[in-house]
Amino acid sequence: MLRRNSYSWTGLGLLVAGIVFLSASFFIFHASWLAALGICLIIMSFILLALRKAIPNIPPEVCSLLLETGVDNMAALIEELGIRTKAIYIPSSLSNKYPRAFIPLHSNGSTPQITRALPQRLIARYGSDPEDIGLLISTIGSAATGMLETKPGATSNELESALTSLFTGRLGIADGTRVTYQNNHIEIEINKPRLETDTDLSHQCLGGPLATIAASVAAESWDKPMQIAQEEQRKGKYYIELEVLG
Amino acid sequence: MKIYNRYFITIAIVLLSTTVILIAAGQTSLDIFYSLYVIEALIVTELFVYFNKKSRRVLNIVGVMLFGGFGIVLCLQVLKALLIF
Repeated sequence: MLRRNSYSWTGLGLLVAGIVFLSASFFIFHASWLAALGICLIIMSFILLALRKAIPNIPPEVCSLLLETGVDNMAALIEELGIRTKAIYIPSSLSNKYPRAFIPLHSNGSTPQITRALPQRLIARYGSDPEDIGLLISTIGSAATGMLETKPGATSNELESALTSLFTGRLGIADGTRVTYQNNHIEIEINKPRLETDTDLSHQCLGGPLATIAASVAAESWDKPMQIAQEEQRKGKYYIELEVLG
Repeated sequence: MKIYNRYFITIAIVLLSTTVILIAAGQTSLDIFYSLYVIEALIVTELFVYFNKKSRRVLNIVGVMLFGGFGIVLCLQVLKALLIF
């Protein structure tokens, strides 16, 4: 069945126009340029009709509603608990199944050392001390990591390729990325980001959506916990600095 | 969806520019038009490396179809050349 999206209708329009041009050139005008134009339109229609299957069925507005609801609930939870600590993005090897964000509930100034896989619970214990507990939550980065075809390796080139593929190819929220790594710090530069970021408490704790995705992918690449050290937007670019922990 | 729009606009600009240039150059052979269209479409598709697996699969099918047409054009040209001799 034909999916009713703009690609289908444009593709069908071009196909009909191409056939009309081709027929008119052969049977009425005997003009090769008209036939060439007809062939050109038919090729473009094939490409559009093929692409209609690849674009998502769900309208962007529905995705935005789902995202906003999830983010609002998470922000309410973090604000109610009065959490001031920064989230630690942990790889799938330490959180079971897929990378997640861990928010320590108590902080004595030092970053918690997570050395073993955490249980699949909202409130998870990472140490022997009674205060060594925190929230283990899924973020948009957790889901975005699942979109990658292969797990990137622990190099800046592979991370750059994975993030560009994700931001530009799959999600369409930026025009490209550049990644550099030195002294346990990963610096990510995102060109022309198209995702708005809030500055509420949950943002301070988890980071913006772009930083969340970048941190989750980086944690999975390095197979080590990560923390967002810094993030800022200036001159049409988004800069993220991640710290590799452990 | 932005990458798909960009891809299609690139393909449309390249193919339509080729049509205009070849017509202006006085080219009348449809074989040449078609061959150039196919080569250009395949090159532009390869340049968009960040498509997802599903998009790449459907575009590969289109590429195979277009290449099949290119093969037929080539066979007809060879047959024509053989008949002349």
